[in-house]
Amino acid sequence: MNSNYQAKIDGLKEDARHIRRNIWRALHGAGGGHMGGSSSAADILAALYFHHLNLRPKEPDWQDRDRFVLSKGHANAALGATLARAGFIDDSVLDQFYVYQSNFGMHPDIKMAGVEMSTGGLGHGLSVGLGMALGARMQGKDFRTCVMVGDGELQEGSNWEGAMAAAHLGLSNLTVILDYNKIQQSGTVTQMMGLEPAADKWAAFGWAVREIDGHDMSAVVEALDALPYAEAAPSLIIAHTIKGKGVSFAEDSFLWHNNMVTDEVYAKALAELGEPG
Amino acid sequence: MSSVEQAAAEQPQSKSPAWEVKAAKQSRLAFGLAVGELARRDEKVAAISADTIDLFGLRPFLEASPERLIEAGIAEQNAMGIAAGMATTGMRPIICGYAPFITTRSLEQLRNDVAYANQRVVIGGACSGIVLAMSGGTHHAVEDIAIMRNMPNMTVIAPCDARQTWQAALATEQLDGPCYLRLGGKFDEPDVTELDADFRIGKADQLRDGNDVTVIACGALVAPALAAAEALAHDGIGVRVINMHTIKPLDRDAVLKAAAETGAIVTAEEHRVTGGLGGAVAELLAVELPTRMRMIGMPDEFAIIGPTARVREHYGMDQNAISDACHELTK
Ligand SMILES: Cc1ncc(C[n+]2csc(CCOP(=O)(O)OP(=O)(O)O)c2C)c(N)n1
Repeated sequence: MNSNYQAKIDGLKEDARHIRRNIWRALHGAGGGHMGGSSSAADILAALYFHHLNLRPKEPDWQDRDRFVLSKGHANAALGATLARAGFIDDSVLDQFYVYQSNFGMHPDIKMAGVEMSTGGLGHGLSVGLGMALGARMQGKDFRTCVMVGDGELQEGSNWEGAMAAAHLGLSNLTVILDYNKIQQSGTVTQMMGLEPAADKWAAFGWAVREIDGHDMSAVVEALDALPYAEAAPSLIIAHTIKGKGVSFAEDSFLWHNNMVTDEVYAKALAELGEPG
Repeated sequence: MSSVEQAAAEQPQSKSPAWEVKAAKQSRLAFGLAVGELARRDEKVAAISADTIDLFGLRPFLEASPERLIEAGIAEQNAMGIAAGMATTGMRPIICGYAPFITTRSLEQLRNDVAYANQRVVIGGACSGIVLAMSGGTHHAVEDIAIMRNMPNMTVIAPCDARQTWQAALATEQLDGPCYLRLGGKFDEPDVTELDADFRIGKADQLRDGNDVTVIACGALVAPALAAAEALAHDGIGVRVINMHTIKPLDRDAVLKAAAETGAIVTAEEHRVTGGLGGAVAELLAVELPTRMRMIGMPDEFAIIGPTARVREHYGMDQNAISDACHELTK
């Protein structure tokens, strides 16, 4: 590894740490929210927005931008923190989470700069992303579309309709990233409605699949750099992650899917995440 | 002391259902308790969850009777179809879902498999109205009454507190077709009714008499309607308050009597003014007895984000707006 590459990875890790701190900040300001699924996605979001996606934060409606859809919309604190760091929205917006008349609510709202689709009802993003990928292909444009889904979210049947269609249409400009933290709202995915064998299912649907550790920044970057994985098929990245990643007491527990964040809890979380660099 | 209270007093340690319902203060939890009670009474009753175990406080039920709780996962369409199929075999499925998702996500299953096929499926919808105001428009359910009311065979109930939810849920035992119960979210609802009140599906509660104007309210707006009526009494305005917990079948007699006797009607609901309680009342009165009306509810727009109380106030779904409407009609 050359030193430039290492510096890049270190920078992205720092971006992810900022995102995590700001997730807690937004949720603390709001009194609570979806900590677990926001934090598990932070490393991937950092790699997407500060390495992979072709975007112009000062020109959010630029026609040829890459598209990102956060289908697991309840992780909006993570998206907001990312959009603020990327310069789409002002940092002060992060203190407007859930606030009266704010556009920064618990779920992404298309009215906010950088948000491609209002999400929150689970199981919509894949079809919408598929439509964006088709829009690119039919208009001869190069932009790529990426959709992040949750593992519990994949229980919605619409995902599998979209998965079938994207493969049928051979949309190699479409990528789905599965934030595979193994936990949903009321328990583990295995307890509620098992997803395994996840990779085999998607492969059987006609997707080109890769599995990575979603908290290993080099692995995330390499997986994104290698896209697309097939010439005429959509790509799936199964990112194995930890719900609540970064703050020990919130990790790997459904109790932190959505929880209150008191002053005390916030102070403990920030202490674990470390001072901003 | 009422019989229910007596029962509660006799066994405070064992947490009788009545004791638990009183402690619950939230209609979603009272509904979950009623699921347990209905399951105790009838072995054909089973709960269906869509990753909503804790939303309905069903963990004790799950622990006691794991075979009676079917977890469908985050898959409302599947849950609805499963319920319809179970019902055809003689089971009594009760779906526990989020109001915004269980009504719209599974809409075709609801219409075809449940309503059209007229199956005995009970659907509890938690976090209705703008209970989840800060979650944004994807999580608001301000069209659910209109949707459910437009399904033939469907009974639609919007209880005004936890106690009435318990009563209404138990009363669904007697129904022969599908039923939707519209429930609140994760904050306490003021107690309006008694646990042993005379509750009948389709029979409105007159909570207060008055001869100048009638407020017909449901769900979260019943308590503000009562507060408005009390305040207006000081101004010499007699406000009749009707808790129209059953929106379908509508208690036509109560509406027509109020229209005839008070000559002015205000409807109040945490729902769009189109197609809900106000719509049901207006449709009846337009044909039978045209009466001056005002409708309190959401306008034709997606609600803004914010704390629920603030958003309610923003759209005039509160005591002040009810009071203003009563003033206007009695001027
Ligand atoms: C259609 C729909 N049903 C239910 C919900 C309520 N809900 C929000 S998040 C969630 C659990 C999501 O689990 P998962 O996809 O695993 O997300 P993560 O663990 O990444 O946070 C549920 C049930 C919803 N938002 N949309």
